[in-house]
Amino acid sequence: MVSPIYILILSLSVGFLLSIFDRAGRKFSLTAFYSVLTFNVALMGDWLYRLAVLHVPTFVINTAGFNAPVSINLELGVAEALVLFLANLTGLMAAVYLFDKFREGKVSSLILYLLLVMGVNGLVMTQDIFNMFVFLEILSISTFALTTLKKNLKTLSAGFKYMIAGGVASTFFLLGVVFVYYFAGTLNLGFMTADQFSGIGLIALFLLSVSLFIELKPFPANGWALDVYQSVDSGIVSVIAVVNSAAIGFAFYKIMPLLPSSFLTAFGMAGIVTFFFSNMMGLKQENAKRLLGYSSIGQMGLLLASLVFTIGIEPAVRYLIIGGLFLNHLLSKAGLFWIAGIVKEEKIRNWGVLRNNKPLLVLFGLFIFALSGLPPFAGFWAKWEFVKVLVDSKMFFVLGTVLVGSLFELIFLFRWFTMAVKENADELEPMASPGFSRIFPVSFFGILAAVVSFGAMRCFYGSNWLQVLPVIAVLFITLIDSLPSKVKGFISLAAVAGYGYYLYPLLTGNIQLFFGVIFIAGSAVNLISTLNRKNQSKGFYGFLLMMIFSFGNLLIASTYLEFFLSWEFMTLSSFLLILRGQNAQRASLMYMIFSTAGAYLIMVGFSFAPALSSTAALILSIQDVNLPLISFIVLAIGFMIKSGSVGVHIWLPEAHAEAESDVSPFISAILLKAGVFGLLLLGIAYVSNAPSFDVFYWVGWIGVITAIAGAFMASFQEDAKKLLAYSSMSQVGYIVAALAMITHLGWVSALYLAFNHMMFKSALFIAVAGIYYRTRTRKMYEMGGLISRMPWTYMTVLMSIIAVSGVPPLSGFGAKWLIYTAFITKGWYLQAGVLFFASGVSFLYLYRLIHTIFLGQLKYEHQEIKEAPAWFIIPQYIFLAGIMAISMFPNLIIKPLNAIAMHYFDSSIQIDGLTVMSELGYWNGNLVMYVTMAVFAIPFIMLLLLKGKTQKVKQFNIVYAAERPESPQTTHVAHNMYAHLRKSLGSLSLPRVQEFWNSVAEWSHTLGAFFRRVYTGNGQTYLLHIILYIVVMYAVMGGQ
Amino acid sequence: MISLYTLILGIALLLIGIYAMLTRKNLMKIVIGFSIADTGTHIIIVSLGYLRGKTAPVIDAAVSVSNAVREVVDPVPSALVLTAIVIGLAVTAVMLSFIVEMYKKNKSLSIDDYQELKW
Repeated sequence: MVSPIYILILSLSVGFLLSIFDRAGRKFSLTAFYSVLTFNVALMGDWLYRLAVLHVPTFVINTAGFNAPVSINLELGVAEALVLFLANLTGLMAAVYLFDKFREGKVSSLILYLLLVMGVNGLVMTQDIFNMFVFLEILSISTFALTTLKKNLKTLSAGFKYMIAGGVASTFFLLGVVFVYYFAGTLNLGFMTADQFSGIGLIALFLLSVSLFIELKPFPANGWALDVYQSVDSGIVSVIAVVNSAAIGFAFYKIMPLLPSSFLTAFGMAGIVTFFFSNMMGLKQENAKRLLGYSSIGQMGLLLASLVFTIGIEPAVRYLIIGGLFLNHLLSKAGLFWIAGIVKEEKIRNWGVLRNNKPLLVLFGLFIFALSGLPPFAGFWAKWEFVKVLVDSKMFFVLGTVLVGSLFELIFLFRWFTMAVKENADELEPMASPGFSRIFPVSFFGILAAVVSFGAMRCFYGSNWLQVLPVIAVLFITLIDSLPSKVKGFISLAAVAGYGYYLYPLLTGNIQLFFGVIFIAGSAVNLISTLNRKNQSKGFYGFLLMMIFSFGNLLIASTYLEFFLSWEFMTLSSFLLILRGQNAQRASLMYMIFSTAGAYLIMVGFSFAPALSSTAALILSIQDVNLPLISFIVLAIGFMIKSGSVGVHIWLPEAHAEAESDVSPFISAILLKAGVFGLLLLGIAYVSNAPSFDVFYWVGWIGVITAIAGAFMASFQEDAKKLLAYSSMSQVGYIVAALAMITHLGWVSALYLAFNHMMFKSALFIAVAGIYYRTRTRKMYEMGGLISRMPWTYMTVLMSIIAVSGVPPLSGFGAKWLIYTAFITKGWYLQAGVLFFASGVSFLYLYRLIHTIFLGQLKYEHQEIKEAPAWFIIPQYIFLAGIMAISMFPNLIIKPLNAIAMHYFDSSIQIDGLTVMSELGYWNGNLVMYVTMAVFAIPFIMLLLLKGKTQKVKQFNIVYAAERPESPQTTHVAHNMYAHLRKSLGSLSLPRVQEFWNSVAEWSHTLGAFFRRVYTGNGQTYLLHIILYIVVMYAVMGGQ
Repeated sequence: MISLYTLILGIALLLIGIYAMLTRKNLMKIVIGFSIADTGTHIIIVSLGYLRGKTAPVIDAAVSVSNAVREVVDPVPSALVLTAIVIGLAVTAVMLSFIVEMYKKNKSLSIDDYQELKW
């Protein structure tokens, strides 16, 4: 065992010797320099292993041969070892990153760097508060000096502001130290107790703690830090943001046991305030490094708050929360600062240059996801547990603030990410290829983040590899990404089939099986259409498999956390899939924001739920859970965001339309069903333990309004995919309304509709994908007459819209029959009436779809067009076959659905042969089919006989007062098809909701812009903030 | 008992220093303000350890080992203040060197000319 004091000794002595070594050559001094840093990491790693794994007792070093308190003592326990190991590791990596600077710059930078490292180690280990002051000053002075590693006006002025702020803060800290000594009679933390400080003695503790707190950059006394983050070299900034903050934060943690609870609460709240405001102001930020600065400050605020608000909970959970947040911040923030240094573009808008370097772009994404608290990274687990703690201790204000702040952070991080992936960078200078010393630390931390998250998953799940499967899928496809797209497609198809085969025995409940068919079988058929991809489609299949496996995992998730994990995997993978669309930057960002808001609500809802007693899948065991009302409300909203209910639907049309055309079917036909699945989960809990307030009555109304609003908006679209997207919104509205009835027939019809919608909407989206593939346009008025060129696709669309509209004989008719029967037996007459009206409206958009694309005259440019490729036709006809099957033989589906719903309610229908009977009447799908065929046949034959009498007219043979319209298509009825209806009813479909959310966004940004004006850039203003901050904190704490 | 006069003096110096840092525009004057505040802090430290009528904590002919506890002032603050002075000196030196560099780049000593970074 090597005593950790050697870290201090070596860093200091080698630091002083470096200038001598340097005489022998820079190679010599650099070797010594890196050796010391490596030694520190190795030593701390060894100690961490001993303390955490071998459980050796906390190591105490008494200096100068005396015991404390006569001498200064240092302590190294598990927490210290962990913090120092990570801090030294980051220090080493930052030094590697700075290798070029260190090789060419002055030797004094090396010396300062070693002093900084020594200060960090000493600050964490020392138990003596005056010694703490000394190490703090060593740390600060070396950092001040290192800010000018890159010497220019910006770094100098930022460094000077930093010194003014830091100098005053340490002056107060010194005062605090002396006053503490005056009251406690000792400088050693081990010999102080909280009861030595009462009355005026509290001022001593106040000075001590508040000055350390100022060093941790609380809002608004942190302008100096932002300037430093923005200007100083990325390598040094990563050290300031991560290593220094960790050490100072740990020093604060050490004095926390002395502080009275009123102080702690105030500090915790100040942390939360910092987190909230930093992220809000980050919204307005366009400079990459300053943005990271805002995020860093926010993260430190959150970390401090978590230190305070987790006092008294189970230690393992506490370490998970604090450790998770810390690790997440450390790895991703250092990584991002380094990447910012490599990219060199200041404006985040210009980060498209990152696309030149794909591995770096992947790492960038990885750090962004980690920082946003997405799985599988450490922050995800920490956030989950932290929310649970806040709910349990009833700190709802803190909870709300943390979640809104997190959402702000996610918004600016993901906006940045989508800019890097999508923003045009053609006119910018391509990024220079970074050297090994720069790329290595970034990759190392990226891998470390992944390994740590894998470790976290292991510790949560043991050997349950299914939960990890979505990540494994991405890694696997990445390995084989150089194969042609088709090969990967077939491999993926096989993987989905294999996954389905593996999953099948695990799906013990009928309801799981039913959704298994939608999620897995539906995905497999949809996957066929992706086989048409010609280019390499790098990454596509990885994300697709990730999404499909997450769907499946939702079914078998047996705890709230597993469910939420799969939910978040699903969100992340679908976001990445949508982002692949050509103009999907805005759409995917909006999708991510809404999904995350929904996910937060789901997280909160589950945190309120009582513990599960069963190990069965959540969808089965939820009926024994007595959910509180608040859970019902927030979970319902969360799930309805995913299913695109009115009010929170604005992500839906954009995401569907802008995704690649073979991705849209997945999103519409399958992803939306995940929201339905969630609502059903909630409904099952509701059946057995209904809360006092009838939540589902309102959910039902929202479903109804969604149905009619979606139908209206679909009717006025020119874009085929948007039309289908709004149609999906409307259809899912029906499903939600039916589910919300919480009756047997209601659920049978909801599930029937869900299944039906999965099939016809897949078929329609794939059909439109085929049309787009040939015509390269989504605008319907630019098509027309395609019936002669694409008859197979035409048949699909025709059949599908019959299935949607609910006219006999196809399956939609059964759905309508079931749903109206259900509404009438439930007594929801008004709702039924509105839905009936919505069905009428849906004829408008369905007619428009088939008329404008397929009927009328063929456009000149489409004369030679071919039928869609077979890869599009095959899945369409598989779905058509499914629709025909359940239309002819409704029992195929009604019977299993009846069985599912009977599990929760008494059956309200009888099935007699091919006839389904309810209390209101009966329906025989088979008979209806024959009758309708006969009705169809007669006019068909008549039309055939009359065919010769039609007169052909040339396209656009219209005269416009001697003028030819520039875009003749727009004179056609297909353009702005329902102009008259738009005039009378269009006001119903105005984008009011869109405007509402736009103004929410506008207001948040404006507020962010308003608050960040406090950072005037003047060092004296910053100092004034600090002084006022201390005064205000004193008033707050003294008041309690 | 601590010396009230020196304590008040120290606090006054501290406040004067901070006032100077907040109001003077000249970078040099800000650093001077910092130095004054720093000195004030040092005086506060020493006065906290001072016991009226007692002698310096140096054991020699005047103070024997056996009755040192009764005759000398608390030696710890005095020891602390030495370190604090050294550190204060170092910080001041770094500040001044920054000012030199800043003046070289921008030919101005007014803090108002160094607020390019903001928001």
